Amino acid sequence: MVSDTKYLRNIGISAHIDSGKTTLTERILFYTKRIFAVHEVRGKDGIGAKMDSMELEKERGITISSAATHCQWKEHNINIIDTPGHVDFTIEVERALRVLDGSILVLCAVGGVQSQSITVDRQMNRNHIPRMAFINKCDRAGSDPYRVVDQLRKRLNHNAILMQTPIGLEGNFSGVIDLISMKAFYFKEPFGETIKIESIPPSLVNEAMEKREELLDAAAMFSDELTEAILEDRVTEDLIHEAIRKGTIARELTPVFIGSAYKNIGVQPLLDGIIHYMPSPIDIENLALDIDQEEKTISLTSESNAPLVALAFKLEVSPYGQLTYLRIYQGSIEKGDTIMNTRNKNKIKVGRLAKMHADEMEEISKANAGDIVALFGVDCFSGDTFTDGSLNYALKSMVVPEPVISLKISAKDNKSSNNVAKALNRFVREDPTFTSRVDEESGQTIISGMGELHLEIYVERMKREFGVQVETGIPQVAYRETISGKAEFNYVHKKQTGGAGQYGKVAGFMEPLEEGHYEFINQIKGGVIPTEYIPAVDKGFQSCLKKGILIGFPVLGIKITVNDGQYHPVDSSEKAFSQAAVGAFKQAYLKAKPIILEPIMKISIECPSEFQGNVMSSINQRRGTIISSAEDGIFTAVEAEVPLAEMFGYATVLRSLTQGKAEFTMEFTKYLKIPKSLEDELIAKHKKA
Amino acid sequence: MEKYLNISPLKILEKSNYKELGKGNLGVVISRAGVGKTSCLIHVALDRLFKKGKVIHVSLKDTPEKVISYYNFIYVDVFNYLNLENEQEAKDFLDKNKIILAYLKESFGIDKLSQNLKNLAENISFKPDTVIIDGFDFEGSGRNIFEKFKEMANEFQVEIWFSALSHRHINKVNERGIPFPCSDLDDLFKLIIQLQPTQEGLFLKLLKDNNIKISPDCIVKLNPDNFFAAE
Repeated sequence: MVSDTKYLRNIGISAHIDSGKTTLTERILFYTKRIFAVHEVRGKDGIGAKMDSMELEKERGITISSAATHCQWKEHNINIIDTPGHVDFTIEVERALRVLDGSILVLCAVGGVQSQSITVDRQMNRNHIPRMAFINKCDRAGSDPYRVVDQLRKRLNHNAILMQTPIGLEGNFSGVIDLISMKAFYFKEPFGETIKIESIPPSLVNEAMEKREELLDAAAMFSDELTEAILEDRVTEDLIHEAIRKGTIARELTPVFIGSAYKNIGVQPLLDGIIHYMPSPIDIENLALDIDQEEKTISLTSESNAPLVALAFKLEVSPYGQLTYLRIYQGSIEKGDTIMNTRNKNKIKVGRLAKMHADEMEEISKANAGDIVALFGVDCFSGDTFTDGSLNYALKSMVVPEPVISLKISAKDNKSSNNVAKALNRFVREDPTFTSRVDEESGQTIISGMGELHLEIYVERMKREFGVQVETGIPQVAYRETISGKAEFNYVHKKQTGGAGQYGKVAGFMEPLEEGHYEFINQIKGGVIPTEYIPAVDKGFQSCLKKGILIGFPVLGIKITVNDGQYHPVDSSEKAFSQAAVGAFKQAYLKAKPIILEPIMKISIECPSEFQGNVMSSINQRRGTIISSAEDGIFTAVEAEVPLAEMFGYATVLRSLTQGKAEFTMEFTKYLKIPKSLEDELIAKHKKA
Repeated sequence: MEKYLNISPLKILEKSNYKELGKGNLGVVISRAGVGKTSCLIHVALDRLFKKGKVIHVSLKDTPEKVISYYNFIYVDVFNYLNLENEQEAKDFLDKNKIILAYLKESFGIDKLSQNLKNLAENISFKPDTVIIDGFDFEGSGRNIFEKFKEMANEFQVEIWFSALSHRHINKVNERGIPFPCSDLDDLFKLIIQLQPTQEGLFLKLLKDNNIKISPDCIVKLNPDNFFAAE
């Protein structure tokens, strides 16, 4: 196996649903001899394409989870991350994009650049990922690769350049003309493994010459040497490759290939394109955060002899046990090595190490910088960073936002009930922003996450992957309570019911805390409350923060100062002082002008500029505040802050407002006081319940 | 929050005849590169916001994130000066009344801005009192563009403040004392202010006050760290 990092490619294959990317992946695996037969996504043989390893994907014919697979082509190692194409699973896409060095944007020669292609391309742009395009399905009626190239230029602002022209189209599509070698490529039946290279058919020579000129003009922008060679008429294939590679890696050029994966046409030239134009890990700058230096940004090297830095980007339960997919950014991992999880400083001995090929695995003994590998039985969360222990780096910020939305779930039957815990345990490990707990009072299971869609995906996965039939409640916003004024307390807890009594008195005040959730100040002087009871007082107050008195949500932003009290030599105890604190809290809380806070989400919407008005209006209707709007020619990105409570069902609304051409992301930004009318409504509802 | 007006750079206008730019009019802050036009314009915005007005900040060079970070930077100094009890509340108030519009990759056009102002008025009832346009290319734009801006200011009943970049090597000044690049356009601007770094400090000087003679004391010294006007 070739181990040099410069011969490695980590690429994704992203596209709109039904543009044929899974079929394309399957063909790539076939031609690279990773598989020896081909199946279809919705194949009649019931086997399904290789990359669709989850049941749900197989059923729907779409790819939800980003399985990684490895193959080799002409002395190069290629890791393929199969990214989801459905609009509702963009969380998965974003996660997969983190580990890619380049990507193939698959487009349908009939449908062209569709809304989801736009979404996926914008995501790649945000992640600074160089792209190539593959215009698939040139054999279909109505196919027009030239129109799609035009759309790439106009709709996606790509400097898209055709690397090939088609030989025939629709039913007559039989091969491609390579504009660099100026030869015609035909792919022989039954599966196109044999390529017959011939002269360009005379009727297509003029068109090919014209398109080659365009290609050379575009490539020459990135190489003075090529420009000179063109002028002196001594252009070589290597010079063209080099210039195109430079432009592609700089994300200023998008080479476009054409073909039909289903008809086995044009896949091998695309593979050649991947090794010619996609970056190797050493062409990309990767950054980490140094935890010891307040998350200062550090540039990583792609050297295998440097200290290890790797990211666990996906966890998966497979027939072989728990798998953790790692992308190694720096250093290497060898079987038997000890590696450290920088989140919890846990040290792990590397047992089995493997390269994955969808559901099949190949054990290896060592993996180097740039590689994507799977480890077995590693206890970690998705997003954790591993080092050799000498570095304390994180590849993403260690700050995990608190969940802002909750959903009650209950199993429909006994069998499901057993699997719920198993499913939740796995999801919690995969995704640090997803949590689950059992409500003490109702005994119901409550799952929490970062948005409605986020939770819906997990409910769906529970059903599909674990056979769990669950009923869900209405999504519940994670409100918070706080106080807006200062109030004093002076409370005596006294109980005499035979035997030893209970006595404790606490006095002091509560006031709003600007930063942080809770602060306890002990100003007791002269031992009026003995030191050994002070922690019990603190604990008593803290127990009250779990459930506020207004609407039963956690209380935050509160500072409690205890400055007086009294104890009884016989009847005082930790329990008595803890109870006294609870009584004191209740006594003062309502006097301290409690208010309800709601989570405010920062939402970013990207849409074609003509929909800006509609989008702004939809934000306004949701009590939102527009922060900014930025145009870059075709697209407008609107940033706004909107209460989470108003965002339920927004994905559907946005789709209908923008003909499905907008995408939005949402993240928690802060808690803010809710308007009085809503506060009254919530309090009334709580009282009723 | 009225205390802000003590340190607002726009207190230079207290010495002017009209005290403010006013709706339907154009104003401009001229200075060389790197002196602080953007900071000065942000104070123009804050002046309006603290007077309970609404502002649109148009950026033609920086992304919204960058503009927001400029504002946040200035908020820190302003809030410290005001010694506010609840800074978050103040920030929320200012943010609610201000929208940033960025036109990147040369995507700006007057028609687009006009359409966006309409969108904001119609869809979210946001009608600005002041529009700040930062980074507009005065040298590459003809007189007719500014005539259109003037029409726009009238149509939407807003005052529009620009920043204009002057050059050390171009000393052109018209007979009315207005420097390049505004020397051929000054009739279209009601107020022209120049940001002047000198050995004695940073000054804001009123160069044009409608067509009225300017008194020599129409000058305000600014703190170069925070652009606060000397009290």
